[in-house]
Amino acid sequence: MAFEVMMPRLGWNMEVGALATWRKQDGDAVEAGEILFEVESDKAVQEVEALDSGILRIPPDSPALGQTVPVGTVLAYLVKPGEAVPVQAKPAAAAPAPVQPQAPAPTVRDEAPRRTARQQPAISPRAARVASELGVDWTGLKGSGRTGRIVERDVRQAATALAAQPLAPAAAPFSGRVSPVARRVAEELGVDLAQLAAQLPGRRIERADVEAAAQAAADQRAAAQEAAKKAAAPAPAGARTLPISQVRRVTAERMATAAHTTAAVTLTTEADATELVRLRQQLKDNGATVVPSYNDLLGKLTAQALLEHPQVNARFEGETIIQSGAVNIGIAVDTERGLLVPVVRDVQAKSLRQVAEVSARLIDQARTGHISMDDLRGGTFTITNLGMYEIDAFSPIINLPECAVLGVGRIVAKQVVLDPEAEKVAIRRMMFLSLTFDHRLVDGAPAARFLQRVKLYVEKPYLWLTQ
Amino acid sequence: MREMTFVDAAREGLAEEMARDASIFVVGEGIGARGGNFNTTVGLYDLYGEQRLRDTPISERGFTSMCVGAAATGARPVIDFMFIDFMTDAFGEMFNQMAKLQWMSSGRLKMPVVVRGCVGVGPSNAAHHSGNYSPFFMHIPGFHVVMPTTPADAKGLMKTAIRSDDPVLFLEHKNLLPLKGPVPDGEHLVPLGKAAIAREGKDVTLVGIAFMVKQALAAADQLAKDGISAEVIDPRSLAPLDIDTVLASVHKTGRLLVVDEDFAPCGAAAEIATQVMERGFDDLDAPVKRLNGLFCPAPYSPALMQNLLPTPPTIVQAVRDLLAE
Repeated sequence: MAFEVMMPRLGWNMEVGALATWRKQDGDAVEAGEILFEVESDKAVQEVEALDSGILRIPPDSPALGQTVPVGTVLAYLVKPGEAVPVQAKPAAAAPAPVQPQAPAPTVRDEAPRRTARQQPAISPRAARVASELGVDWTGLKGSGRTGRIVERDVRQAATALAAQPLAPAAAPFSGRVSPVARRVAEELGVDLAQLAAQLPGRRIERADVEAAAQAAADQRAAAQEAAKKAAAPAPAGARTLPISQVRRVTAERMATAAHTTAAVTLTTEADATELVRLRQQLKDNGATVVPSYNDLLGKLTAQALLEHPQVNARFEGETIIQSGAVNIGIAVDTERGLLVPVVRDVQAKSLRQVAEVSARLIDQARTGHISMDDLRGGTFTITNLGMYEIDAFSPIINLPECAVLGVGRIVAKQVVLDPEAEKVAIRRMMFLSLTFDHRLVDGAPAARFLQRVKLYVEKPYLWLTQ
Repeated sequence: MREMTFVDAAREGLAEEMARDASIFVVGEGIGARGGNFNTTVGLYDLYGEQRLRDTPISERGFTSMCVGAAATGARPVIDFMFIDFMTDAFGEMFNQMAKLQWMSSGRLKMPVVVRGCVGVGPSNAAHHSGNYSPFFMHIPGFHVVMPTTPADAKGLMKTAIRSDDPVLFLEHKNLLPLKGPVPDGEHLVPLGKAAIAREGKDVTLVGIAFMVKQALAAADQLAKDGISAEVIDPRSLAPLDIDTVLASVHKTGRLLVVDEDFAPCGAAAEIATQVMERGFDDLDAPVKRLNGLFCPAPYSPALMQNLLPTPPTIVQAVRDLLAE
């Protein structure tokens, strides 16, 4: 009879564990008492002995290394030579049930979204209807339903996020079926062809479709304005009633989500920015057309520090942590419409001049309302600078799904102690750096080491220039 | 408004109709001087005697067939089977004669018969005394089926059933008989084919069959503590079925759980789920979920009964699973 090798309960409170590694391979002969595998539970890794002897047989549906499973899960079998591997038997139901078929049941993988025969993600009928009503392209959504199905709440969330974007056509040219005239009219009227195509599946988009969509959008905007006017009750004397703009709505939702999801901790340090100020002055005096701003400088040296501290350039994704190889830095920009965070991609690979040119363009686009959705996404780190408003230090809110955000204060001439023994003081240019990080992703000491590195690069800029 | 038990309210409905119409008579085992095993006719024998309250031998096919003949010749019989399980001996009479004679006679023969009996699983009632059988009657053209859950509905539907010129199954769940509730004074009729919203809500729709309405309401109370607002619908009639009320609710909530202690295959829950799928497909955010009794004959042992039927905790869990979809 085959012996089952199960995930053991190694501690009184242990409920789940992950198989760290097999110390014997499939097909090896195992003696009772030999180390058979290693288990990672909570923070410790433990060796586990085989309790029986036999040939080790690891079935194809055995949990993968690193996959967390409940205590008691069968990992493998120890069989006699020539004995067949048992199949997964289901526990007997109360009523007599027909015998289950032979193939062991695959474990339900909640991470992989369900796909229908046409390789599209599964979506509930109600969600599909709502998606059509709200003009949401659902094929890229991730379902929050237990079975991975896209449901109504997913579509409504996507619609809210989508509504914050300006009506400018998408950056990438639309690749579906559309007549040339319709394409031109869409660009003129600012109609998003991808959204329109989602509402008219399987059809070639014609001019009439585009004009109807533009008219519908205009009607909706007019109706919304009318409703907002009607809804505004006469305010008490001296008060102003304002409708909630889409940017405000999205900002509110994202800030609230970050506030109640992340374990936010803010570290502050005062850096001696005298050398950095000197560097920037030299660049200015050099007569360059585009002078890097302090944000550009901080972006470059933060990128260098992030390459050395990949834990901080990370995010959660499902059941994994992704440490990004690229450093894409978002710059918080105050615009008439509200807070926008355009992203400079691959800062680590760009020269300081390139970073300055890209950031200047993005900030201008953000301020004039011409920034594309792609340029507002994909950041791995954010810099927010309130120095120009005489703010010293603050506790910025993390820009999910990023790990950390750097708040920059004003540069102030201060008297500082250079050498306490010699009682030597000097006037230096000091700047507070406030790093808010997500303690779920990275711990205090590594985050502090990262900030310390940033501080070092601020104080000695030539060090990051030569990395 | 008076507070009465379900069984007293149903009997009051029967008594009022018998007083109105002398052609109504009741037939069954022990419904005469004894007043019925479930007290369905207490006091009526004293009023009308054996002309209108006729005790029968244990011969279900015999007395059913007698009532079919009586109905065909102008009377209005009420057949009281006591336990609806006993009706199975009269299947042939009911399905081949009672259900069809109106059509086969081109309407010359009328079948104003009320067939009543107690349904449902009671403690240790075991395999021969726990049947529901409502799907059988839902499935055959010619029958109406009503399953009231409140005393007011019991009285109102009994009167409507008796006044109907078609065969009506009046199925009363054993566990509901002693439950008290308000019954309006004066004339009170409840129409066939009209559901009642037992509790309003917005997050999920629960449809209960007979006693399961009460269990669903208890579950809804529990769910409300966790901020889940469940709408509970009591269909009251299973044939004709008021699917529009269910559809309106699903349009609001997007998710439907049907709780029926009867077996799953081809049951009332299956019919409701299919009709909602057919007509409310675009309102569904998740597949319709059914919670039924276990597919096995009702046991005698109390220990085996523990997991047999939906209970408020299992209904609560089913709702949580449904909302997680």
